[in-house]
Amino acid sequence: METIKNYLETMFAKLPNTPEVRKAKAELLQMMEDKYNELIDEGNNENTAVGTVISEFGNLDELAESLGLSKLVEETKANDDGIERRNISLEEVKDFISCRTRKAMFLALGILLIIVSIASPILFSSFSQPQLGVTLMFVLIALGVGSIIYSSFTDYEWKFIDEEPCSIDISTAKYVKDQRKSFEAVRALSLTTGIVLCIICWVPNIIFSTTKVVTFGPSLMFLLIGLGVYFIVYPNSVASAYEKLLELNGQTQFTGKYNKNEQINFVKYKSKKAETIVELYWPTVTCIYLIVSFLTFAWGITWIIWPIAGVAHKAVVINCQADDE
Amino acid sequence: MVEISSDVIRGYNDTMILYILMREPSYGYNISKEIKRISDGKYAIKETTLYSAFTRMEKNGYIESFVANPDPEGNGKKRTYYRITNHGKEYYSNKCEEWDLTKEVVELFIEDKGE
Repeated sequence: METIKNYLETMFAKLPNTPEVRKAKAELLQMMEDKYNELIDEGNNENTAVGTVISEFGNLDELAESLGLSKLVEETKANDDGIERRNISLEEVKDFISCRTRKAMFLALGILLIIVSIASPILFSSFSQPQLGVTLMFVLIALGVGSIIYSSFTDYEWKFIDEEPCSIDISTAKYVKDQRKSFEAVRALSLTTGIVLCIICWVPNIIFSTTKVVTFGPSLMFLLIGLGVYFIVYPNSVASAYEKLLELNGQTQFTGKYNKNEQINFVKYKSKKAETIVELYWPTVTCIYLIVSFLTFAWGITWIIWPIAGVAHKAVVINCQADDE
Repeated sequence: MVEISSDVIRGYNDTMILYILMREPSYGYNISKEIKRISDGKYAIKETTLYSAFTRMEKNGYIESFVANPDPEGNGKKRTYYRITNHGKEYYSNKCEEWDLTKEVVELFIEDKGE
């Protein structure tokens, strides 16, 4: 029965995910299941039953016609890149996501441990125990490196996703998109936390600068940076798993298009020259800033170039963009 | 062995389905089984053909669908059942007349073997 389900999935992989198509799929599956069960009851073996059911299934062109989708099917056929793709089921997709989530956690944890390791010798130097500090530092580095290496092995069984052409069907793509959407909120919160932690990492230095244990400042600073980086790396790494899945299909497949449509954000320029100006804008500003600053050594004031350049950038881009037709 | 070409029979799938529904409402696989039985195994309708016919005829108002359980005791899965409408009965008798005419005409061009 599993074979029949997969067969039907493959047949439907290129059709859009509309209520009519979903209903057709469910009804066809029911008919096939009834036939399969009866064939088995009649004493046929599984292979014969599956073979009979599939050979008597018919073809989708006819179905697409009655569902009013023939134009769509024709288009897909014409655009098909002809690459044999391995279909990844919903179950596999779920496994892949949880595997990548675990990978992301170990990777982020590894980086956190390595950053925090720097705090160890600083902290222990106040207690005149430098050896202990250095030892702990190496232990933390070892744990961190171990964690990163481990993370790179966690998705070993999914290597084929990078190497073979694969595809997911439209309902699976929808699942991934829903998951990605609900993860967006977590990701935003996590990124904000991470960035805030990195920004306030200097605060402990100020607080502890007047106390006896001055080293608490920098130690805490590295802890905050470490946590900050953790909160930035983790969600981005998880999000990359969703992107990876949604990019599996070729551009020409519906599920492929599905993802691309929302992301295309073309900026059209008036001419090649205009495009070059926009591309070279920020490098040029950086050069000007550095030259002026080094010549005048007035670092206290030259930063003013940046806000001015920021405002000017908008004006330059608007002037260089082609009018929308 | 000669097989029925799907091109020829296409126009009469609806007729067969409606004939079965005239007797009692039925569901997908049951209808395809009946077609096979009545035709003595000479014609097996494909699943996609059958479902396409359902959608088309429902759109045209010849049949109506409803969900019911094939098992009177309520065990097992529910199926989508179809029943014929008055409009469908009308269509069916038109198709029967059409077939009589078609048969008559085509018959005139069929070589008489044997005699």
